Amino acid sequence: MVDLLAVWTAVFFTLALYSILYKDTAWYRIAESVYLGVAVGYGVSLDLLYVRNQWATGGWATPGVMLGGFIIALVLGVLWYFRFVKQYFYLYRWPLSIIVGTGIGLALRAVIFVQFTDMIKAQAKLNLWIANDMMTTFNNILIFIMVPCVLLYFWFTGAKIRETAPMKVVDKIARYTMMAGFGSAFGYTILTRFSMFIGRAQFLLGITPNPPENMTAFIVLGLLILASMVGYDLFYKKKS
Amino acid sequence: MSNLLRRIEIPIILTIVFTLVQVIPYYVYIQPLDDAASYIQRWILILVSLSTFVGVISILQVHGKNVSKRSKGWYFSVIVLVFTVVMALVGLPLAEVGLGDKNLVYLFLFNYMLQPLSGTMYAIIAFFIASAAFRAFRARNIEASIVLVAGLLMVMSNAPLFTVFWPPFKTIGTWIFAVPNMATNRAITIGAALGLIALAVRTLMGIERGYLRGGGAEQ
Amino acid sequence: MDTSEEEELSSKMAFLEKFMDMDRRWVYLLSWIFVLAPLLYPLGLPIPINQEAIKWYDTIDKIPNGSVVIFAPMYGTSGMPELFPMTVATMRHLWSKDIKVIVVTFWTEGPLVFRTLLTQVDPTSYGKVYGKDWINLGYVPGSETAMSSFGRDIPGTVSSDFIEGKPTTSFPIMANIKTATDIDLIISIETGTPGATEWLRQWQAPFGVPMIVGCIGVSVPGMAPFLQSGQISALLPGLTSSAEYELLLKKPGLAVAGVDAVSMSHLMVVALVILGNIAYFATRGSKGGKK
Repeated sequence: MVDLLAVWTAVFFTLALYSILYKDTAWYRIAESVYLGVAVGYGVSLDLLYVRNQWATGGWATPGVMLGGFIIALVLGVLWYFRFVKQYFYLYRWPLSIIVGTGIGLALRAVIFVQFTDMIKAQAKLNLWIANDMMTTFNNILIFIMVPCVLLYFWFTGAKIRETAPMKVVDKIARYTMMAGFGSAFGYTILTRFSMFIGRAQFLLGITPNPPENMTAFIVLGLLILASMVGYDLFYKKKS
Repeated sequence: MSNLLRRIEIPIILTIVFTLVQVIPYYVYIQPLDDAASYIQRWILILVSLSTFVGVISILQVHGKNVSKRSKGWYFSVIVLVFTVVMALVGLPLAEVGLGDKNLVYLFLFNYMLQPLSGTMYAIIAFFIASAAFRAFRARNIEASIVLVAGLLMVMSNAPLFTVFWPPFKTIGTWIFAVPNMATNRAITIGAALGLIALAVRTLMGIERGYLRGGGAEQ
Repeated sequence: MDTSEEEELSSKMAFLEKFMDMDRRWVYLLSWIFVLAPLLYPLGLPIPINQEAIKWYDTIDKIPNGSVVIFAPMYGTSGMPELFPMTVATMRHLWSKDIKVIVVTFWTEGPLVFRTLLTQVDPTSYGKVYGKDWINLGYVPGSETAMSSFGRDIPGTVSSDFIEGKPTTSFPIMANIKTATDIDLIISIETGTPGATEWLRQWQAPFGVPMIVGCIGVSVPGMAPFLQSGQISALLPGLTSSAEYELLLKKPGLAVAGVDAVSMSHLMVVALVILGNIAYFATRGSKGGKK
């Protein structure tokens, strides 16, 4: 019985969201409201479980620096909720600034290597002449030219230099490179979005490992929802 | 005292101190500072976890107002409130009373509501992209033509239907990925890294205060 | 041009303009048909195996016995349709080898996604014992900070496992695992942030741990520079590559079942774009001629 309810619930909410493709209906608004509620409430469980586990087995209960730190974390953790009290809103900024500062520090220390010097090294290591592989040679030369052009395209200092003939060539190469790159992004976006739809379609059709009962629910609920939307439209058309 | 605590310099100083505590030991090995950085990283995780109810309370505030004022669509707000409260309550990590991530109601809500809703929400975009591509993707000029041709070739290279009948589609798609796409994204990655460094320097100098906005006038 | 020819041309132009402006719901209906039809009636198109899937397969196959691997399902339920097949296939491959697997995630929904995997794949069927051959450390809140803390102190950052709730250090698999230097490979299946960039910043830059990434198609273009520079050793991009990987493992699953639908949906998109452009140029030409 619970399995049947589970299957029909899941199929109903899937189809209710898809009803937006016909028009914005009450089915869609119901599904959207449920999604918002469940998504927001979901994270509470795992976040608090982490804190509980850290207290139980993480050593924070040890008197001294650990216990003191845990108590300070609890006090600062309460300050998050002054966000909702206008008079004491400034207290909310304290834990926020600690989190932001730590996050910036962690990102800053390695970004110079991972996203800057390693990229420059890889660019410098490009082999511009491979005797028995003309295709790779050609590709490497193209990359060698394209990357600096795209970087220079976003260099906005020196308005006079940007108007010169060499910079116009650089701008053209950069634009064409980026357009090809965006085309590639479009292609992969189509793959992702349709893959996600295909996953949902496999669920609706009850393709293994999804329960085969899904298909019955899909047909019945799909027809009911469609009939309700079309019927509603016809009723209001007749009325007006 | 209250005026002193309101000063904007306090959170700015906190940001600077906690940034430097993470950055300095990475480059200059000082054992106590390194240990402090490690300790703070673990400590931060508890602080972050304790903010879990901020989203819940925001939702309760906004939708509670809708319900109390009987605004347009207030009945949908009732649904939001009910499901937020139920999910948050049954998910509380109190295994002794049967609550938590193994609770049957919690699992039902996750497996048969959140999972299908979440998957479908992102899957809807496929339809909008197909419709947008049909209506707006036009070769109006050279740049648009390049996007169009590269995009179509990439779509074809990702589909076995095309690559089985003409294998060079895959070769062309691989070339587009490995050359112009790679060049574009390398430049974007380098630019983003420089932007992040600039943002960090601005934050360390106390100029960047966007994350502190809200709640009324600053002192 | 005489009157009848003009009328014929005019009606053709009107048809093309109507075609370009057609109700978008017809496109939505076409999308449903082009996806549902091949799922109900599989075309059985051959699936060529490409370099990305071969590289992924070889990288995992060549992991030396006794190695310790971090497997990180860094995605939520929204990414499941595209990433779940490669997650299942990769776990099957890992469990078929003599290596230790530590499952951990920094996305809130990650643990429950992995729980869904356990309802479909039984590690005991591979002779794997929980706590000895593999362990699930669950979710660690804090995004990049959590990843950094995890790298510096694994048992400290995650003090209890997710499945049994016991202290992490009580499991035999964690006996010699203290920091990122004790890990031989990271396998990250992801949809966004935190993801590959954070792993590179917090694990590869300071500790030199190699990594391979499986991701959704939208993230793939951004991985290209890291793949070319060697910071990422292998990349599995999207559903089609997952299908190729399933075939290499000789365990076809959801990805293989969905590839025909990928082909037909992509054919539909290509046809719509080409037809849209033909109609655009035809009507633009006629408007230009009338001037």
